[in-house]
Amino acid sequence: MSSALLPPFPEPGFSFENVERNVSLVKKGFKPPKFTSTGTTVAAAIFDGGIIIGTDKRASAGTIVANKNTNKIHKISNNIAFGGAGTAADCDQMEKMVRAHVELHRLNSGKQVPVCVALTKITQHLFRYQGHIQCALIVGGVDKFGYHLHHVYPHGSSSEVLFEAMGSGSLAAISHLELNYKQNMNLDEAKLLIRNAILAGVENDLASGNGIDLCIITPSGMEHLVDYEIPVAFV
Amino acid sequence: MSSPFTLNWADDSHDLEKTNSQFDSLTPDYLKHPHKTGTTLMAASYDGGIMIAADTRTSTGTYVAGRLTDKLTKLTDKIYCCRSGSSADTQALAAIVKYHLSFYEEEIGEPASVGVAANIFRDLIYQYKYSLTAGIIVAGWDKRDGGQIYQITLGGMLKRLPVAFGGSGSVFIMGYVDSTFKPNMTRQECRDFLVKGITLAIHRDGSSGGCARLATINESGVEREDVTYDELPPLI
Amino acid sequence: MFKEMQSLANAQMTDASPHKVAGFYPYADNGGTLAAIAGDGFVVIGGDTRLTTGYQIYSREASKLTKLTDKTIIGSCGCWCDSLTFTKGLHIRLQYYLYENNKPISTNATAQLVSNMLYQKRFFPYYVSTIVAGLDADNQGAVYSYDPVGSTERHRYRAQGTAGSLIQPFLDCVLGRGNQTAPEPEKLTKEQAMIYLKDAFMSAAEREIGCGDFLQIMIVTPQGVEEERFKLRKD
Repeated sequence: MSSALLPPFPEPGFSFENVERNVSLVKKGFKPPKFTSTGTTVAAAIFDGGIIIGTDKRASAGTIVANKNTNKIHKISNNIAFGGAGTAADCDQMEKMVRAHVELHRLNSGKQVPVCVALTKITQHLFRYQGHIQCALIVGGVDKFGYHLHHVYPHGSSSEVLFEAMGSGSLAAISHLELNYKQNMNLDEAKLLIRNAILAGVENDLASGNGIDLCIITPSGMEHLVDYEIPVAFV
Repeated sequence: MSSPFTLNWADDSHDLEKTNSQFDSLTPDYLKHPHKTGTTLMAASYDGGIMIAADTRTSTGTYVAGRLTDKLTKLTDKIYCCRSGSSADTQALAAIVKYHLSFYEEEIGEPASVGVAANIFRDLIYQYKYSLTAGIIVAGWDKRDGGQIYQITLGGMLKRLPVAFGGSGSVFIMGYVDSTFKPNMTRQECRDFLVKGITLAIHRDGSSGGCARLATINESGVEREDVTYDELPPLI
Repeated sequence: MFKEMQSLANAQMTDASPHKVAGFYPYADNGGTLAAIAGDGFVVIGGDTRLTTGYQIYSREASKLTKLTDKTIIGSCGCWCDSLTFTKGLHIRLQYYLYENNKPISTNATAQLVSNMLYQKRFFPYYVSTIVAGLDADNQGAVYSYDPVGSTERHRYRAQGTAGSLIQPFLDCVLGRGNQTAPEPEKLTKEQAMIYLKDAFMSAAEREIGCGDFLQIMIVTPQGVEEERFKLRKD
């Protein structure tokens, strides 16, 4: 039952009612609007005490800086987080959905939720939408099985890695990681490695910049270092 | 309504992809191309069971997105599959087949046969052939038929073979396989045959690379072996 | 001429088929921003020194300003190879003028020449945004701007290039003052014009990813041309 006074609840999930209209508009030459893209450098690595994830802070719409203070480290629970690149809205909604899912899982089981639960939710969701949800993520976390770092691509494929870089600045960042990553680094070495990897992206990729955020996940908890560094040369 | 035999469906999906690529030439590779396992896969039977092998490269366009990928995916204790094509598609497929098999084993109370695993794959790939890009080799050992290798094509055809190869690198080693493979090799012979094949393909195929991963499946179980790039046999 | 038009037609040909047609594309967008302000007895022109392609930086120190005479400066940005070719050709024309007339060319004549040279290539244009800044016969500041095929106008102030659409409204606000209620400011000095130019580029570099690295300013007075450089954001 619904009326003007009592509108119906919206259907859950996406609405596709304008898809056909939009496809025909594009065929007629209409240019669709630009979405805010994180245009990001994300880098992450496993070190001997846990996981470290770093991001830059710029969000762009085309060639305009849309946000100079963007948070691209998305916290799922006390032991899981991901760094996101791609369409900003998709990354934010992904965080909301997975966080709710993981929290319900925690309440139902009464235990700390393993990283693979969040990872499976993310990959299945992305696969269902066949790459149209444009987020490329590095999912990291610590659970009873150990330290985990996975990359996830928009079409829903994933892989476990020791270190990874994502986003438009990933080529600069991964070069630094491939050269300087070593196993069993301590926290300070890991911070410097990720900081330098993000800096490589920030300097060489126009869509990355405005500072560095870090997130460190260890068995004792999560530390989110907002504005870990705003390089003086940029101010 | 269009006939189910036309390819209209595939055309429509292309239009959607076009509207979605917002950022023309500025789009990074990973948003433009689906993740592909441009791959070399091999499987061969030997006198005690079967062996499977694959390279470890995953690429998006020209970017190497993964250099230590494991394309040999476990389905049950003694059944593995080798994945080629879109890595998102094949990972999702493998997870679904794995789920079906564990449910099936629970129901019948014994290990699933390799043929069952291959047929579940075939069903899914045939049914969703217009939305999937998946070339799969299913290999394993069961009590009834011993070591078996099944290949499933992109269109959903299933064929049992004594030796199989797949992925983009397979075209470079067809002649090698035809001239070198012989039935009832020893395990060591079979291992060397596969490693050489993967090495040849890595050498010639740009989208195959990295290391070689192997698995041997026989009555006593599964043994994995990883051959790093510098351990690959030298080419003359 | 026919050959050029052929390759232009090739470049502009958009194939509806999903297959990419490999062809020769004679144009590139290498970014760059220019702005100039004229006053009584002076003109200042500034350009950033960043040279880009897509999200990549080619150079952080590519000067977009060229001194033509003691009274005239040209700024050119857009397709870098066209900028170089055009300014080179302009230099040659100015040498001819000097030899034929035994005196340096005036700013007004330069402005007309630039327009003619751009229009000469109406059907295979130089893809450049151009500003000519100098002192006219009465030692008043003059700023001329051009579109790629030579449409020109004299202004009091003008911004062009990647961040032109960001800087122009700012200059309109502080200098043009159309429909504004605030009282008229005092007469524009050279020092004040410099401050506006610096602030405009600083702010543009904050929001436009193609603008940054250094700001190069040339100041033209009856005494001659001075040059100054300022740091901009590098990310």
